[in-house]
Amino acid sequence: MSVLPLDAADEVATEPVPAAERPARAAVLKRPGAVLGVAWLVFLVVASFTAPLWRPYDIDAQDLAHRLEGPSAAHWLGTDPNGRDILSRIFSAGTEPLLVSTLTVLVAFGIGIPLALMAAQRGRRSEQVTSRLTEIVMALPSTILLLAVIGVVGVKIYLVMTVLGVMISAVVYRIMLGVAQSVRQRLYVDAARVNGLGSLAVNVRHVLPGMATVIAVQAAQLFGIALLIQSGLAFLGFGPGEPEPSWGLMIQTASQHIYDAPWLMVPTGLVLAVTVVAVNELADALAGKATAEKVVPKRRTRLVSSSTWPAADPDAVLEVRELSIAVDDGPQLVTGVDFALRPGRVLGLVGESGCGKTMTARSLLGLLPDGVSVSAGSIRWQGRELVELAQQLKGIRGREIAMISQEPMVALDPMFTIAFQLTQPIRRFRGVGRAQAKTIAADLLRSVGIVDAERVLKSYPHQLSGGMAQRVCIALALTGEPKLLIADEPTTALDVTVQAEILSLLRALVRDTGLSVIIVSHDLGVVADICDDVVVMYAGEVVESGSAAAVLDEAAHPYTMALLGANPHVPEGVPVPLRLASIPGTVPPPGSWPSGCRFATRCQFAQPQCHEPFAVLPAHDGGLVRCVRVDELAHDHVTWDADDTADTVETRHALGERQVASTAPARSETSSPTPPTAGVSS
Amino acid sequence: MFAFLSRRLALAVLTVLAAVLISFLLVHATPGSPGAIKAGASGTAAQIAQYNHELGWDLPLWRQFVDYLADLLRLDFGTSLIDSKDIGADLAARLPVTASIAIFATLLSGVVGIVLGVTAAVRGGRLGRLITSSSGIALSLPAFWVGILLVYVLSLQLGWLPATGYTPFGDDPLGWLTSLALPVLTLTVGGAAIIARTAGAGMREALRQEHIRTLRAVGTPEWRILYVHALRYASVPVVSVLGIQFIALFGGSVIIENLFALPGLGQASQAASSSHDLPALVGVVVIATIVVVATNLLLEVVVAALDPKVRTS
Repeated sequence: MSVLPLDAADEVATEPVPAAERPARAAVLKRPGAVLGVAWLVFLVVASFTAPLWRPYDIDAQDLAHRLEGPSAAHWLGTDPNGRDILSRIFSAGTEPLLVSTLTVLVAFGIGIPLALMAAQRGRRSEQVTSRLTEIVMALPSTILLLAVIGVVGVKIYLVMTVLGVMISAVVYRIMLGVAQSVRQRLYVDAARVNGLGSLAVNVRHVLPGMATVIAVQAAQLFGIALLIQSGLAFLGFGPGEPEPSWGLMIQTASQHIYDAPWLMVPTGLVLAVTVVAVNELADALAGKATAEKVVPKRRTRLVSSSTWPAADPDAVLEVRELSIAVDDGPQLVTGVDFALRPGRVLGLVGESGCGKTMTARSLLGLLPDGVSVSAGSIRWQGRELVELAQQLKGIRGREIAMISQEPMVALDPMFTIAFQLTQPIRRFRGVGRAQAKTIAADLLRSVGIVDAERVLKSYPHQLSGGMAQRVCIALALTGEPKLLIADEPTTALDVTVQAEILSLLRALVRDTGLSVIIVSHDLGVVADICDDVVVMYAGEVVESGSAAAVLDEAAHPYTMALLGANPHVPEGVPVPLRLASIPGTVPPPGSWPSGCRFATRCQFAQPQCHEPFAVLPAHDGGLVRCVRVDELAHDHVTWDADDTADTVETRHALGERQVASTAPARSETSSPTPPTAGVSS
Repeated sequence: MFAFLSRRLALAVLTVLAAVLISFLLVHATPGSPGAIKAGASGTAAQIAQYNHELGWDLPLWRQFVDYLADLLRLDFGTSLIDSKDIGADLAARLPVTASIAIFATLLSGVVGIVLGVTAAVRGGRLGRLITSSSGIALSLPAFWVGILLVYVLSLQLGWLPATGYTPFGDDPLGWLTSLALPVLTLTVGGAAIIARTAGAGMREALRQEHIRTLRAVGTPEWRILYVHALRYASVPVVSVLGIQFIALFGGSVIIENLFALPGLGQASQAASSSHDLPALVGVVVIATIVVVATNLLLEVVVAALDPKVRTS
């Protein structure tokens, strides 16, 4: 009947599954269209069900003197070929479509949801049987089958729409099965199961609420489809017979009077169309779609004064000065970041998740996410300012600065072969033909340690292992023979053995080609392994920087000490600690940073003066440290210790005054032979 | 790939069998008999019994089903209860009408929808919002109402196209095209809206993918990122929805054929339904099921060809 894809299980299922917890009411209220839609639906329901009470004329009251007339004072919406009042007939006709569409939705969900819950619970075998069955039902031509049902049973609209509901239940099952399976996988459902809740109780209390949003969205969409089908059937003459009014038949009548009374098609068609639009608008609002897609703000570069700073390090290829990154019209993500990189050196950007490392790294190539931009500061690459001249970045990306990312498995285009993905940039960067580009691609793959380069060239990304994909990504980054490689957590997603291989590959590239590398990592082991210089970031700012040897051996900032204490990599000759240190609390999110030391609330050594603003101090011969107590701490030779009573910072800093036993900081020179628990008991 | 195809083929055959069985049982579950319908209101009891005997209605149910299947395999759909015409020949003459409407409407929906959807996703801004919201409205409009509006504007007011009727291709190829224009346009309004939404969402999703950032990081030109990589990524859902569209248009042709007086399958099913012409009804259901199943099979092959993950597994 309708042009809507009734059989479109896939199409509906690919809609993003919205977070179940989001309050649906708020989502609806945010869309003016949805508010209007709900208002119209409420009006329609009330007007239709009360029509016998208020309608100006009876549905079959004929006014033969005024047939096929336009709107008038007597007949607000005009009259039909029998002189009957259209206004009275439209709203009198509204009850049936509303009721049968509700019935269709109830039947479809009444069958589809229990089936989906059962299939999700029973596991694979029974799921497959049900799924095959529903596939067959979905492949049946629903419209024509519906006509066949009418041909056999006659126009019994409630029965016919029930049959439609049964057919649609297969689609509902398909969608709900996917949702039910993902909801069941959530941890709390597991927990409820382990706690011995019965299967019905688990479903009703935990699985169903998680599916509520999807159910609401799908129900609204199905309601709209059912409305169109019911009126379509009535249009074909399979509706309530004359003189009972129906929207479909009224539009059919209009189509026959298109020559002499075109007005006739306006009121009924509009009421039906507006109703379906309203229902779909409601569905979209429930699904949490924005009225229109979010406008991508033009990348803005706020005031940047790059010329103020003299080149502090004449040898540096890259100099980042006072770099700040912010969400447009939102909080700062990174503030006042300073560091410099010399050619052929490896610099590590270290910190917990959410400290701004990745944002800093991405800003170097102008690859910040939409709506995030550099708000101040300068990035100077070989004497050129990258922040001011976004245009220059295009020539620099890949050619001078390249990047590899955290998850190699999703960093390559799944739709194209490795050969295609490598030869495109090779041809562009090196101006060679197709055949030569392929030879170069194979050579590049061999240079990153891929033995069977020919086979890998023919492969698609999903056919590669994670380590292999990361090697391909490195080869891709090398296609433009860059001078700087930015590696964002290049080994995090890989197995431990593969991690070591990738790191040694990077080390070999630095050694053989003079490449500079910026490596983003939360793993101090990686940093100790490969880096020459280290920049430790916390809550969007640099807290300590300097050469790797200096920072790791003589950590001056408590946060660096804490990271070292929490690092499970134990160098040879140091006894394995009984317990690793931990850092209480979490990184404060952007926008909630204190004015003093941002780490103070989590610091074992924090004192009142830490909460006041203070100046950055030079450290580590060219580096810096951002701690007001750095001299005291250094004098006392404190270390961050393992502690399970770390929730009380006040009592801890008292302990911090004393020389506390070390738990296991790598390379720490203050390690004492005292057992780790001594620090707590003293 | 072979195992995959044969499994799909088996499911296809099962689906057609299910359709035949369902419509067969439906016919037999009804009160009354084909003899009564054939004899009409004036038929005597003896006449009805005679017709029923000729139609094999007095045989056991399983026997009738087997006979019907055997006939189907020989492409014999039986004869109409109303005018005794050969149903197979009638449907064969009607299939091209419905098929050409559905094919043209699908193709046009695809082209218009992809252009609109990609434009909305790439350009964004006011134009993008306009496309998104108007396609949201267009896909909610009842096709029969859109059809009437188009007839009013394009044929009554502007006189560009014939309002109704069908000219066979053999008689006048140009007349054939113009007679299909209004029905195809009508179906394209909703169809293109659905494709525009799918293509727009697909492009936006594609542009959020990690590999797009990799492409930017090696300085890939923007047009290449949009029209080679992102569009290719979005092509899988778009093609799937186009297939579903074709199926929906094929089934939805009933209304369009009624509105534009086109002698297609939809008209046949409407007529068979109102006159309770049971063998004709079963015939339409079987043909429509075969079309749906064949489309689904073709769709799976095309998606497999488009998506390396499906193809190489």
